[in-house]
Amino acid sequence: MFQFLPALAPELYAAGFCLTGAADLVWLHLLSDLAIGVAYLSIPATLALLLMRRRDVAYPWLLGLFVAFIASCGLTHLMHASAFVAPMPEVAGLAKAFTAAISVATAIVLWPVLPRLLAMPSPAALAREVEERRAAEARAQASEARNAALLANMAEAVFVLRLEADGGFTLESANPAFERIFGLKLSEVVGQRAEAALPAALLGLGLPHWRACAGGGLNCTYELEAETPAGRRAWQTALVPLRDETGRVARLLGSARDVTATRRLQAGLVQSARLATVGTMCAGLAHETSQPLNAALLWLRTARAEAARLPAEAAVKLARALGVVEGQLRRTGELVGRIRALAGATDAEAAVFDASQAVAAAVRTAGGQYAPEGIELAFDPAREALPVRGAPARLEQAVLQLLANARDAVAERRAAEPEAPARIAVALRREAGQVVVEVRDSGPGVPEAIREAMFDPFFTTKDPGRGIGLGLPLAAGVARGMGGGIESWNLAGGGACFRMALAPAGASAVAA
Amino acid sequence: MGHVGDGAAGRRILVAEDEVLAAMAIEDELLREGYEVMLAPDGQAALDAARASMPDLLLTDLRMPRLDGAGLIRALRALSPGLPVVVMTGYAPSGGVEAFRGVGEGPVALFTKPIDMDALLAELRGLLAARDGG
Repeated sequence: MFQFLPALAPELYAAGFCLTGAADLVWLHLLSDLAIGVAYLSIPATLALLLMRRRDVAYPWLLGLFVAFIASCGLTHLMHASAFVAPMPEVAGLAKAFTAAISVATAIVLWPVLPRLLAMPSPAALAREVEERRAAEARAQASEARNAALLANMAEAVFVLRLEADGGFTLESANPAFERIFGLKLSEVVGQRAEAALPAALLGLGLPHWRACAGGGLNCTYELEAETPAGRRAWQTALVPLRDETGRVARLLGSARDVTATRRLQAGLVQSARLATVGTMCAGLAHETSQPLNAALLWLRTARAEAARLPAEAAVKLARALGVVEGQLRRTGELVGRIRALAGATDAEAAVFDASQAVAAAVRTAGGQYAPEGIELAFDPAREALPVRGAPARLEQAVLQLLANARDAVAERRAAEPEAPARIAVALRREAGQVVVEVRDSGPGVPEAIREAMFDPFFTTKDPGRGIGLGLPLAAGVARGMGGGIESWNLAGGGACFRMALAPAGASAVAA
Repeated sequence: MGHVGDGAAGRRILVAEDEVLAAMAIEDELLREGYEVMLAPDGQAALDAARASMPDLLLTDLRMPRLDGAGLIRALRALSPGLPVVVMTGYAPSGGVEAFRGVGEGPVALFTKPIDMDALLAELRGLLAARDGG
């Protein structure tokens, strides 16, 4: 069967074998070489496919060398097998030389690469690293969620202002406290330009500070007080400039703390202390003045009785003179009565009553007087009963004093600017657990310098004959007696607001 | 003075007032009205006078040396329950007449100085008549 094989002898010698007469051995070599050749072509083919599909394989050129090396080995084995059929010594030699070259090259480059291959993480190490990274990511997410919850539940308003190329600001983000404190809906203001997001009054107050912080690049803190959609608020703000990678201030991080209650309490304490001092002084003054006045009026009565016995002409003259004296003494007596009222004392019994009715009565009284003067008096009554404890007549008096003060302010401004609006707006409502009467006027506003002094007795800016400076102190005394106080501020659009707060009484105790 | 003697005869009013000039004028008025008047310059003197002879009504100041008005009212009411009292004061005690609820049973009227003498005389007549009625 293998008679042709001896003809192959030179090739076999060349291969280093002498297989003459060993037919079984020839088959063994032939089949093995074929099997190895096919396998050695298949293996690099899969590696080549792998290389094409997975671009992220480390050292692809090394894998490429392996592909070439194994494929050339396969070729060499196939040349061996072909030698049994049709020997091609030159081609087989070239194939072997190519295999040698590529083997040697692979062997050479493999040694220097070895340390780097050793340094490569093992799949287990990679899995571990992946696991660690996942855990770290979960921790970061949890921390972020905690921070978000912290921000969402913080009492302080936190916000970020982005500086725009034109020098303006955009409210980039804000937390729920921002909405609570300023009454601005986050869904409507976040992402908006500041001039669109904020009421003009708030913007006007904040903008200079933002600009200073952005321009100076330094932290800054400031305190403001203004009307907000959530009502009147006082707040402390801290601004921190945030820089971008070029070092330019790109954003401002702000935090605002609501100090309304604290400021109100402080103002209340100061006012209480002043009024307590004033009250003591007034009580003493009223007492000391009333004694001689009392004696004088009593003796005057005796004098008038005696005068009646004189001859007619003399009696008339004397009666006239004594009448003048009595008139002046009574006038002094009335003043003493008003000073006494300032001391907080009252003859009226304290009772629970509806503040709405007392305030409405005062507005009706004043409205009738002011309408002929061309002053518009608007009243926004409460939608509910507002029970308070005190004397209805005194509350009505107090509100009348606030209205008279507003009227005088409006008249003062109109004297200077005849075209100025002449408007007084009264509002009554329950606010933050208190009953609040607010009187807003379109007058010239209260100069800062007299803001506190105007509650002192006999302090007046009015012309002689227009007021003796007991109106506001009386109103403040009434408010204090009813568990509250009065504060005032100027309105952004001109004019002043006087806010009288009263402690509410139990609703069930309202007299019918 | 047509009403001189109308129910006033024999009625004794104790006047406790440390302001001598005021006390003298009040005494004059009361005498003219036909009342008997006991004058005391302070609370203690008034109490001593009342112990000797109990009045039908007390007309008193609040702020006085030795014994003040409230103390005097309390002491006299202990001796003569339901004694009518008229208080004259330069202060207006907060709570008004209510402030005198704690100084014994009996009617109290409050007048702030300067006193309206006609109103005071009318009050005295009313209180004394009510006492007779009760």
